[in-house]
Amino acid sequence: MRLEKCWFCSSTVYPGHGIQFVRNDAKIFRFCRSKCHKNFKMKRNPRKVKWTKAFRRLHGKDMTQDSTFEFERKRNRPERYDRNVTMETLKAIKKIDKIRVAREARHHKMRMKGKKGIEQKAAERELEQGISLVKAPLALREESSLTLSKIKVKVSQPQAEYQMEE
Amino acid sequence: MGGKCPHRKVKKRRFSNKRARRSNFLLKGNDLVFDELKKLTEGEQMKPLPLNEDLPGMGQFYCAHCDRYFADEEVRGEHYRSKRHKKRVKEMNGPSPHRQLDAELAAGMGMPDNGPKLMTMSLSPSLSLPS
Repeated sequence: MRLEKCWFCSSTVYPGHGIQFVRNDAKIFRFCRSKCHKNFKMKRNPRKVKWTKAFRRLHGKDMTQDSTFEFERKRNRPERYDRNVTMETLKAIKKIDKIRVAREARHHKMRMKGKKGIEQKAAERELEQGISLVKAPLALREESSLTLSKIKVKVSQPQAEYQMEE
Repeated sequence: MGGKCPHRKVKKRRFSNKRARRSNFLLKGNDLVFDELKKLTEGEQMKPLPLNEDLPGMGQFYCAHCDRYFADEEVRGEHYRSKRHKKRVKEMNGPSPHRQLDAELAAGMGMPDNGPKLMTMSLSPSLSLPS
């Protein structure tokens, strides 16, 4: 039993699932579901469709180079059955899977490293620009204690920039 | 050529013109066009196009990038100047189109393992003997 990969989204196609298209030059295109098949018929490029593995690989969303990728591969030469080897392989699969999951988690963590700071900064800027929506400008002028701390930050940054320019 | 409809009761209508003509306008896949262009750039020689009276212009005016036939030189020239053609040229000059192998690599599989090369043991002695 061979588990094939979907041409479009690279997910696993189990026996009895999906659909396959055989082009008139005998090339086989396998699809895991009608979504992928339709996208193929629309001549979409999987590298440009965000939810495919090909896109995610190309844009650094997933791990690209890892030693755990060397284990799963298409073996075109049949191997003689050996009970011991099979048992060892089954044991190894679990271990390798654990390692890969951990590495993927680490990769994701590294990728999301600066995200919180960026989000915080964006929120601050939004608040700064839209403060008039929260509090009327007149009220702010009368009672400056409401936004004092924020104004402090706002003023200090341009000052630093001016000094740099001078 | 397709176009045969053997199940039709009426003898006259057994031949479907639509289906017969369809194959003329079917485009090749991106990967095929890419390979063909690669061959052209390496080999630097294009085979003379076969005469085909079903194709526009007897199949003599061909655009390899877009896999299309044109009626004459002038129309093809017009096509070469079109935006669609230029877009296509740019696409075909870029990286190789997506294939099954790319899909498998993206899924986290390694390169396919074809095992040790066959016939290497038997070939090498025979090659070494004459020398």
